[in-house]
Amino acid sequence: MTLGPLFFAAPAALFALLALPALFFLLRATPPAPQKVMFPPLRILLGIRTEEEAKRRAPLWLVLLRAFAAALAILGFARPSLAPEAIAANAGAGPTLIVIDDGWPSAPFWPAAKAAAESAIAEAERTNQSVALLRTTPDRTPPGAADLVAAADARARLSRLDPLPWRPDRAVALKRLEATPGRFARVLWIADGVNDDGGEAFAQALMARGPVTVRLPPRTARAVVGASANAEGIDASVRRAPGAGNVGAIAAETLEGRALGAIEFRFGPGAETATASIKLPPEIAARAARVRIVGETSAGAVRLLPAGSGRALVGLATETAQSQPLLSELHYVERAIQPFATPRRGSVRQLIDQNAQAVILPDASRLSPPERAALEQWIDKGGLLVRFAGPRLANDADDLLPVRLRPGSRTLGGALAWEKPQALQAFAQDSPFFGLTPPPDVAVRRQVLAEPASEREARVWARLADGAPVVTAAPRGKGLVVLFHVTAGPEWSDLALSGLYVEMLKRTLAFAGRANNAAEGADASGPYLPERLLDGFGALRAPDVDAQMIQPQAFAKAVASPATPPGLYARTGGIADSIDTVQADEAMNALALPAGVTRAGLDASRTRPMGGALLGFAIFVLAIDLLVALMLAGKLPDFRRSATAAAVFLAFALIANDAHAQPAPDPAAEMSLAYIVTGDARSDRISKAGLDALATELRNRTAVEPAATRGVDPARDDLSPYPLIYWRAPDTPTRLSDAALANLDRYMRLGGMLFLDTRDSGRAPGPQRPAAILLQGLDAPPLELVGGQHVLTKAFYLLRSFPGRFPNGRIYAETPASAAARDGVAALMVGDGDWAGAWGAEGGVDERQREMSLRFGINLVMIALTGNYKADQVHIPALLDRLGQSPDAERRR
Amino acid sequence: MTRDASQLRAEAENLAGFLPGVLLEARKLAAAAPGVHGRRRAGPGEAFWQFRDHRPEDGAKLVDWRRSARGDRLYVREREKEAAQTALFWIDPDAGFDWSSGGAWPTKKRRALSICLALSILFTRGGERVGVLGGTPPRTGARAVDRIAEELARARIAKPPTPASRSAVIYASDFYASPDEWRDRLRAASSAGATGALLMIADPAEEDFPFRGRTLFQEPGGAKRNALFGRAEAARDEYARRLAAHRAAMREVAAAHGFIAVLHRTDRSAAPTLSMLVSALGERR
Repeated sequence: MTLGPLFFAAPAALFALLALPALFFLLRATPPAPQKVMFPPLRILLGIRTEEEAKRRAPLWLVLLRAFAAALAILGFARPSLAPEAIAANAGAGPTLIVIDDGWPSAPFWPAAKAAAESAIAEAERTNQSVALLRTTPDRTPPGAADLVAAADARARLSRLDPLPWRPDRAVALKRLEATPGRFARVLWIADGVNDDGGEAFAQALMARGPVTVRLPPRTARAVVGASANAEGIDASVRRAPGAGNVGAIAAETLEGRALGAIEFRFGPGAETATASIKLPPEIAARAARVRIVGETSAGAVRLLPAGSGRALVGLATETAQSQPLLSELHYVERAIQPFATPRRGSVRQLIDQNAQAVILPDASRLSPPERAALEQWIDKGGLLVRFAGPRLANDADDLLPVRLRPGSRTLGGALAWEKPQALQAFAQDSPFFGLTPPPDVAVRRQVLAEPASEREARVWARLADGAPVVTAAPRGKGLVVLFHVTAGPEWSDLALSGLYVEMLKRTLAFAGRANNAAEGADASGPYLPERLLDGFGALRAPDVDAQMIQPQAFAKAVASPATPPGLYARTGGIADSIDTVQADEAMNALALPAGVTRAGLDASRTRPMGGALLGFAIFVLAIDLLVALMLAGKLPDFRRSATAAAVFLAFALIANDAHAQPAPDPAAEMSLAYIVTGDARSDRISKAGLDALATELRNRTAVEPAATRGVDPARDDLSPYPLIYWRAPDTPTRLSDAALANLDRYMRLGGMLFLDTRDSGRAPGPQRPAAILLQGLDAPPLELVGGQHVLTKAFYLLRSFPGRFPNGRIYAETPASAAARDGVAALMVGDGDWAGAWGAEGGVDERQREMSLRFGINLVMIALTGNYKADQVHIPALLDRLGQSPDAERRR
Repeated sequence: MTRDASQLRAEAENLAGFLPGVLLEARKLAAAAPGVHGRRRAGPGEAFWQFRDHRPEDGAKLVDWRRSARGDRLYVREREKEAAQTALFWIDPDAGFDWSSGGAWPTKKRRALSICLALSILFTRGGERVGVLGGTPPRTGARAVDRIAEELARARIAKPPTPASRSAVIYASDFYASPDEWRDRLRAASSAGATGALLMIADPAEEDFPFRGRTLFQEPGGAKRNALFGRAEAARDEYARRLAAHRAAMREVAAAHGFIAVLHRTDRSAAPTLSMLVSALGERR
């Protein structure tokens, strides 16, 4: 039902308005219920007549307010909506044609596009007209007609519609339009604003069917047209149609969507393409799986970087026996090559089958004859074999080596050798390592020696200081065999521990490029299978069950289309590749429209439902009514005063909220002392002053340089950045909230140290002690009294007692047995000396006492930072005594 | 019959619960009160007052030989004059009297009990007899207090009878009944020779009328009378005026028949009221 610009979806509810007058009289007749009071001197009260008492009815304005609320609620239940278009719309009766571009360029503003279609459908529903919904993007079905359906059906169809990850095709749209018969009273084209071939022709065809309105997005989509990983990071280029935004940001992400880096890009005036490079270390760049425009959700705004693209696949021939990972030789190799290559472990046979471009063979690997034959054949075809020496090779050399080896190995240094461990010579000019500087501290302690005669056959890439070759290489067939004369791990030399190792392997594996030819034509001829496909919004999803595999020939030429949807593909042998949504040379122009179509923005007015707002307002009015009723009944103590109080409280709450919303610096960036904010302002101030003073002394006297003291709220803050948290009991201790207790428990478990200062020295124990209240519910470990042998007495200063503001402060610390998992370092200490008060010189502490308490504080921080290593000092007197060197022993003599 | 028995029993248990507290309060009050002193002149009594010289008209019978033997002169032992009197108490059994407006204050009846018992402690200390108006005959001695405590708390004497002659009667009530009713009652009492005090006990809510908003006032005790006010605060001034007039009328009735009227609020301390009563009653005798 329409009433001016208002449309009621449930007009039947409006009949309830007829009942309003009855409600009015009912409300008028019923006064608010009085409060009942027993009152003995009623006899005195009986005769009194006040003017108010005469009015037995509710005041008129209150009744009017209630009736108003009821009317609002009735209107709200009638589900009205404000549709200004309803008046503006041409009254011409007839079906509506909604054309919607559902390609990826619509994805960034898809909700707005859908809402525009929705409002057109709603309008058709109002006028009881049928609707035809015509999509312009091809799918796998042949283009068919757009059926005329009822509005509700059209709405259901619309709700199922999602953008497809390729561009609309106007030719397909034209075919669909031609299959749709008849004329339309209105034609609405929700366009993506990007021109495709035949856009104008399509618009002409639409105009032949009825008056056309084109809704254009405020900003057209942009696309990443190229992205590549290189040594510096990731380069990307972005293209736009005129009308898109000038500035944006691109981000590189892993496959899981974790951002690795981002950079801003900026289009020059009138430029269609912008480039940007995200600077990333190669090992990070290697993990990038896609580049996307930040904040733009469309398939075109995503560029996939298939795993391993631009990186050599390096096979690591696994040792026969699986040893511990950190002792495995290959561990060092794997870590070294990860930044620039994709390592894969397996047997030699598997590695060759997977088209490894290089194979690294550690000493421990033994080759079976067929494996050896396959390997030789692979090298001859252009493979790169990198070998490392070791005890096995020293004793049992084969001939798959660049040089002939002398049996046994040469040991440099050690008790039985004359020679010292040797460093590497500077690399010769013809060595591929030329340009690298061997660090002087890389020493080779053992190596295998080449027969001097065979040195001439091979090329020596690196030598020791005395000229003995360390890395040799020799071509074999089209391939290359490289031998490191030391182990892959640090057993024989320091090479594996130095950065030089990484660089040397990088330059060695650069020769793997030649092996690409070798890999070609092997058995990498299978079709490409879709692994994960992009949807229109640029998210990767598992492919549909009917996703097709693509033959390699077709794959090379594939562009995003229904038959070849964009996404990640893989073929047998682990080769990954992708089909991109946007081609590198794809043009993006503004949509050209013929004269005679009405243009409108997508964000123009649309139907606004008002039911919720009306109901909300009705509830608001009823809430006011409730307040008024309470006031009339005298149940509100003093409205004005409490209102002021509420306003003040609200203001404070807002200010407090604001204060907390300010961005805090990262607490983990610096070491700082922390105290627990108890809410007792005075006590917190003393805590802060005390810790500040302690921090100053720490900076003056020790290597500990704490940053500014921080107050932490255990219920809200992350406690893990703080090595020590000082907790000064407030004047009125209360049990902490469960969240705070859980957080403190976690803090203590993770190795933090919580120091609770109850500052009730000398007071009688009992259930009302602050410690008992504060630690209630905390998973507190067993405590024991700290004695003279505790590490607390010797962590930095030697102390006999721990005076705080109270001279005889006692401390209870977690028992060593309970703290065994943390090397005996207590997670919880409870003391009663009010140390913060002494540190901050609160309440007349003399200098000497303050000095002693500061010493205690320094010891405390030392334990929190260094643990129990000073605890060993406990044994020093005994050790010295046993050695007869203790001062006491001297004196005794 | 059974209903009566069980009701009595419930009441007794209720009494056993609060009576010791009231007695304790009363003892504390009495300890702090100025107390009833002797007549401060020689007369028939128990306590020694003074020795005086023997006069010829005294005769040999009055000589205090024990004192006289210590010297040459003859002495007579004089005792302090004691006027043993009867004090009778009546506490209003009305439901509206056993009422308090808030948890912080005792009910008016309980406060009345405290004051009456404190008075009776002081009186028995002075050797006077105490009793309940319309109850068992008055007694003297320390045990009398315990006895009348129970009797007072349990008594349900709606219409106090006219007292016997020469007794002090303490009426404790809120005195919201009409002054005419009391005029008759006090006239009968004073013509019988009794004197005494009206202990007017008021709850702070009755004095200050702190009610606001739409309020229905009901009478305690299940009476059907009630009063509804749209804005109770509007009735406050008129109520205060009427209450003051009522109190003035009561005081006038009391004064006309030789009774004093003392107003006590349950939110105030009972001690000043007690000392006021003690001095006023002491003067009358």
